[in-house]
Amino acid sequence: LRFPPAAPLCLLTLLLPPLRPGAPISPAEPISQAYSLALYMQKNTSTLLQTYLQYQGSPFSDPGFSAPELQLSSLPPATVSFKTWHALDDGERLGHAQGAFLALTQHLQLVGDDQRDLNPGSPILLAQLGAARLRAQGLLGNMAAIMTALGLPIPPEEDTLGVVAFGASAFERKCRGYVVTREYGHWTDRAVKDLALLKAKYPG
Amino acid sequence: MLSRSIKLGPKCKVEHCVQRDSCKSRENYSTTVKWNQVLRWSWESQLPLECTQHFVRMRSGAADAQIPEPRFWGDWTSWEEVAVQSSLGHHPLSVFPKDKLVEEGSNVTVCYVSRSHHNNISCYLEGIQIHGEQLDPNVCVFHLNNVPFIRDTGTNMYCKMDPGGVIKGIVLFVSKVFEEPKDFSCETRDLKTLSCTWDPGKDTGLLTQLSPSYTLFESFSGKKVICTHKSWCDWQAAPDSQEMYNFTLTAGNDLRKRSVHLLFNLTHRVHPMAPFNVLFKNVSPTNAAMTWRVHSIGNYSTLLCQVELYGEGKVIQKQNVSVVANGELLVRNLEPYTEYVAQVRCAHASHFWRWSEWTRDNFTTAEAAPSEAPDVWREVKSVQGHRVVTLFWKPLSKLQAKGKILFYNVVLENLDGPSTMKLLSIPAPANCTELALDHHSYQIHVTANNSVGTSPAAVITLSRDPGNKDVEEARVKGTKDGFSLSWKPQPRDVTGYIVEWCEHPRDPRCDLQWKSLGPNTTSTVVSSDAFRPGVRYNFRIYGISTERIPYLLEKKTGYSQELAPSDSPQVHIGNLTASSFTLSWKGWPAEPQPGFLRGYSLYLKSKAVQCLPGSEKAVLPDGSVCCKYKIDNPKQKTFVVQNLQPASFYEFFLTPYTSAGEGPLGTFTKVTTQDEYSRILIRILVPMILCILLLTILCYLKSQWMKEKCYPDIPDPYKSSVLSLIKSKENPRLTIMNVKDCVPDAIEVINKREGARKSLIETEPTKPTYLHLLPTEKSYPGPGPCICFENFTYNQAASESCGPVPGPPKEQPSQLGLLTSSENVLKALGKTYVNSLGEIPAGETNLNYVSQLASPLCGDKSSLPTNPPEPALCSEYKMQMAIPMGLASPPSITPLDEGEHYH
Repeated sequence: LRFPPAAPLCLLTLLLPPLRPGAPISPAEPISQAYSLALYMQKNTSTLLQTYLQYQGSPFSDPGFSAPELQLSSLPPATVSFKTWHALDDGERLGHAQGAFLALTQHLQLVGDDQRDLNPGSPILLAQLGAARLRAQGLLGNMAAIMTALGLPIPPEEDTLGVVAFGASAFERKCRGYVVTREYGHWTDRAVKDLALLKAKYPG
Repeated sequence: MLSRSIKLGPKCKVEHCVQRDSCKSRENYSTTVKWNQVLRWSWESQLPLECTQHFVRMRSGAADAQIPEPRFWGDWTSWEEVAVQSSLGHHPLSVFPKDKLVEEGSNVTVCYVSRSHHNNISCYLEGIQIHGEQLDPNVCVFHLNNVPFIRDTGTNMYCKMDPGGVIKGIVLFVSKVFEEPKDFSCETRDLKTLSCTWDPGKDTGLLTQLSPSYTLFESFSGKKVICTHKSWCDWQAAPDSQEMYNFTLTAGNDLRKRSVHLLFNLTHRVHPMAPFNVLFKNVSPTNAAMTWRVHSIGNYSTLLCQVELYGEGKVIQKQNVSVVANGELLVRNLEPYTEYVAQVRCAHASHFWRWSEWTRDNFTTAEAAPSEAPDVWREVKSVQGHRVVTLFWKPLSKLQAKGKILFYNVVLENLDGPSTMKLLSIPAPANCTELALDHHSYQIHVTANNSVGTSPAAVITLSRDPGNKDVEEARVKGTKDGFSLSWKPQPRDVTGYIVEWCEHPRDPRCDLQWKSLGPNTTSTVVSSDAFRPGVRYNFRIYGISTERIPYLLEKKTGYSQELAPSDSPQVHIGNLTASSFTLSWKGWPAEPQPGFLRGYSLYLKSKAVQCLPGSEKAVLPDGSVCCKYKIDNPKQKTFVVQNLQPASFYEFFLTPYTSAGEGPLGTFTKVTTQDEYSRILIRILVPMILCILLLTILCYLKSQWMKEKCYPDIPDPYKSSVLSLIKSKENPRLTIMNVKDCVPDAIEVINKREGARKSLIETEPTKPTYLHLLPTEKSYPGPGPCICFENFTYNQAASESCGPVPGPPKEQPSQLGLLTSSENVLKALGKTYVNSLGEIPAGETNLNYVSQLASPLCGDKSSLPTNPPEPALCSEYKMQMAIPMGLASPPSITPLDEGEHYH
């Protein structure tokens, strides 16, 4: 594990606020917390992607491998035009992110299972995938807290994977894992910007 | 994989074609069929079915042996299409087969199917592009032959479509060849359970996809067991009903199955359990009864058990015993008080298959009384008139002690006085005791005691006579293995010999050691790890009389290895002369000496090329050459280096040597021999200088007086000392000396040859004339003084000789000695000068007053006419000389004697 031993404790504290019942809270604090977590996640996304590719063999492990054409229908893409992104209101912005990270947590779980089967002898990769999933869940909780603070409705959790996930071949599973770890990085980057914007909008 | 249900005759032939006009394979399938039976036949196509359309048709024929050849085949069925492609969906690119699992070395056919043949598709196996066979515009087939095992997570093969960048691929799981189980074996420990084991061989390399399974099948019973472990399996035997077993171990994974067989009789595969309950009973000093139990095998099966007895790590006894249930063995010939380890194992007696594991236990035999007397020796010292005896003994060996020695008993028996015994009990592990005894004779008995009994006594007698007779010390040469000592056999009865020595002679505690030897021994080798090179060890050899009295026979001394001296003595130089010097030293060096001193080496360095007799050339470690004197006598403490060059510089260094060599070269001492003449010169010059110095000081101190006496500025004839002498003696009225007063008896005129004089003292401006007035006895009326005139005023020698008037040489030996020494000096300086003075000593010694009054005549004026020739001689001088009569001897004698003596 690359993150310090105290990291799980930090994550725990970050997870706590949404569970705390009570009076309306200022959005600045959950935004700040979510922003900090997103920044922390951002530092590890490229490591996760590189570790993942390294264990999959050619072409994934080839230097400079990139396949932007590979997409997953079950995972919304993070790419969006700046104009559209900037025009989003708080509800849409947080809703998109919420939906994406909900999908990402489920996909990361799937990729973790796939890799436990395909690469059982690589605990580093499995640990990084598990850590990424936990952080995505933590960010989800923070976003829910923001939405609560802003008085926005929290979208219900959905099974984004559906029934198509099973029966994929080993190569397809490798590709799927690549798309998930790549999009996890993209969505984390976008979340940092989303939260920075909200942070500016709702100063403490 | 194709699967077909067919209704066919006894033999079928199936033809499988990729396309109708290109049949790829044809296979036969034979079976016995019944009427209306539905057959199921599966086979696998080399080319994945997804790659292209496959067609299949079949026909059947009878394969009955009763029907002779040629057999007749029925008609082919119509082609039937296997259409898997239609279910592929609409992916732009697909690669088949998916997740193929193969053994390494096998051939795999892969294809891609694209929806559009306008695209450029390239395919790669592990990053290396591969080229295939275009089956149709949209399908390309790749034949991968002899695929290798690369990694346990599979080998990627993928195709990339341009444009669009679509990537599709497969993972080819290549396993290593599945090996046959090795060393398949079954055995039973109790005839109830069979335990079968095998070596599964190398792993297939795939982590999860290919976990092998193992199945055990016994053909007689028809039973089958699926093994849960990959290397062993248990089987419940039926000893009562089944004796023979025929096992088939089948190992398999998805790719391959392998089988091994084993047929055996159950009773021939008995591997007994390890014996248990090993006990030792009735353990005596030499025997023990060993018992054990075995696990029963069947009904009263006999086991063969093997017992091994270990003593001090070695097998000392090995025995086989037949056992049914309880084993027993009497172990004999043991040593007392010794720990033994016994171990036992068993095997089936009638059909040996395998020994059981060992079961071991240890036991210790009982103690017995010590068998040997301790080896005892003594050291006798005299402390303040008392006899102090230190008694030493060596601990008994384990074999001798036969138990744990608890204490030693020392019994003192006074042999001279009334028979008294004194007992001392010294607890172990002490190995010595000190006894203060009087000067009586004592006999000492020492015994060692353990819990069982007492050892025989060691006896040693201390006689009244100390017995330290003078024995000459002989040298012995040691080696690193020890000292080989030998001694003369004793004519009288001896019961043994003792050799004693100090293990650490430089240590005050000495650490006395001894060696007891039998009466017939006259030599031994003393060796010890404590012996060090360069340490002198002293050995004393004692004979033990029949009365157990030790008496000193011989003394030996030596080194295990002699070393060269480590330092050199201090050398003093003495008796340094022009040709020799003497070296003396205080002997070398203080104790301890690292070897026997053999002598000394003297190194002498000089400028001379040749070495002097008695020395030889030697090259020093620094490369310089010098002469070396060998002094063979180690007791020599002086050495005279002779035949040296005077006033020469020498360097020397003295070093002792032993048999191991010389001491280290140190600093050379410098010495310079004396000059040959310098000593003589010093002997002469020093007194002379002292004498001159004395005279100079005297002259300086009395300069005024001298001036007045010898050369006043204005001489006063009335103050002439001569006159005063005359006046005081003869005529007080006379103040001026008259010639008439001096009545010459005879005048001798010595007219020196002028030439000779000139040649001697050329600087002399005048010709001296000597007038010796020799008074004639009797005719001389009074005590008139004898006066001699000589003008010494301009004579250097005369002026120097001023001073107290010396008496006759014979009367003043000290002055004579002075003269003698000055004569020597003169001799040394030059004879010419001595000669020039040698003619005047008479005048010189008698001269008392020298004046240069301008009197042309010598003597009274009236005497002038009477001495016509005289003025010619004395005209230039007026010389006065008065000889004090009180001091001088009668003038008639002294001048004559002196004159004769000097002329």
